[in-house]
Amino acid sequence: MIKQYLDLILYKTYADLRAETERTYLGFLWWVFEPILFMGVFYVVFGILFDNGIQNFPQFLLIGLVTWQWMKSCFSHGEQTILNNHPLMQQIYLPKILFPIILVLTDSVKFVFIFTLLLIFLWTTAYPPTTTYLALPVLLFVQLLFIFAGTLFLAAIVPFLPDLRFVIENFLTAVFFMSGLFFKAADLVPEHLQFYFYLNPMATFIEDYRKVLMYQQWPDWNALLMISVFSVLGIIFSTWLLRRFEYVYPKITA
Amino acid sequence: MSNSSPMMSLRNVGVYYRQHRGIFGAAFWALKDVSFDLHAGETLGIIGRNGAGKSTLMRLMAGIIRPNCGSLDNAGYSVSLLSLRLGFIPYLNGRENAVLSGMLMGMRRKAIQAELERIKDFSELGDFFERPINTYSSGMLARLGFSVAFQADPDILLVDEVLGVGDAEFNRKSTAAMESRIKANKTIVFVSHNGEMVRQLCDRAVWIENGETQIEGTPHQVLTEYHKMLRLDAKH
Repeated sequence: MIKQYLDLILYKTYADLRAETERTYLGFLWWVFEPILFMGVFYVVFGILFDNGIQNFPQFLLIGLVTWQWMKSCFSHGEQTILNNHPLMQQIYLPKILFPIILVLTDSVKFVFIFTLLLIFLWTTAYPPTTTYLALPVLLFVQLLFIFAGTLFLAAIVPFLPDLRFVIENFLTAVFFMSGLFFKAADLVPEHLQFYFYLNPMATFIEDYRKVLMYQQWPDWNALLMISVFSVLGIIFSTWLLRRFEYVYPKITA
Repeated sequence: MSNSSPMMSLRNVGVYYRQHRGIFGAAFWALKDVSFDLHAGETLGIIGRNGAGKSTLMRLMAGIIRPNCGSLDNAGYSVSLLSLRLGFIPYLNGRENAVLSGMLMGMRRKAIQAELERIKDFSELGDFFERPINTYSSGMLARLGFSVAFQADPDILLVDEVLGVGDAEFNRKSTAAMESRIKANKTIVFVSHNGEMVRQLCDRAVWIENGETQIEGTPHQVLTEYHKMLRLDAKH
């Protein structure tokens, strides 16, 4: 049974990605163009218009934006997966957890493309791979855990409280500006507020990616361990929620 | 047939929906008190007017939702709705949609792939099978939908309203395919508000009104009562 659902997850992920590339003239090139356009805007504003005094600011900024967007797209799309699949779940029984899992995989495949481009950009500018790259798989894996925890949780609760969507979007925008995408926490965040700053896992991730990819430093292992523990707890809790309401989701009037 | 133990049995089953969004709001009981048995090999007709709770009953039997009261016992049989175009994605071609739909219906990928040529032949799509389904006419879409859905062979098949689909010719073909399955001693639950279909196809019938079982018996008995009520209702 598990094997069968695994096959379904993979095929549906493939199908969704294929459908997305077929929908536009440029197809899968948009997976690359869209983030480049998006990042261009921030580069113009924060890289050219404001003088931030950070060396190699484009690389600094891009690392933050790429890793932020991976999380952001999963959360934003994930909160809608159950409602979007409502017609399907009226016709056949499927474990509801499949929908957010498929979504995370779909968005992660797109992230892999962007991230690869980011690495090529880094190597060809000033930052070739170093030994700290050994920490990269761990970093990516912990962020994936965190993304799963958040996406599953949002997917589980938003169908009951659809109004939350607006709150979540604005909350994410607020966190976006507080995750250190445009600045170094050490420069800008007052000493007594740093503890709160790092309660946001994205702040830790972004800083760790920069350490590994730019500064030849190792990530903050303790923080990563803490995030892993909370993420696993979050995944367990969210899975429990999704199973608890397994037969209630199809009855929600969408 | 009715001496053997039933494949599925419903006892005083009730199901409610929340009238407002989500889990809040007043309960609306779509099914209040439904009881009947389903036996192996029979074709059971469920008849009732629009809003009687037929769709909810189908979802309940298919294991999509659970009863809020009463009990539904299924002795481990697979049940599924005949769902046309289940999970179809407009931008993908016929072949990919056939695989996806089949997998959603619970078939193994290899099993569907083995059936693909047969699906292609039955649907008479020819080269269109390799083209995106958003280039199909509605008739072609109906043919693909039926050909794929018909591949699923659960222990208990739930059929809603229409047997045949598509243009006149394919409608005959798909109706014939369904009828041969009904005659092949498969267990089928057929839901309709059309008495004639139930009379022709079913061994037994149940009439549901306002979420309650009114009467259970031979199609003739049940339809007589059903039509009596319809005539009475029309007078008022």
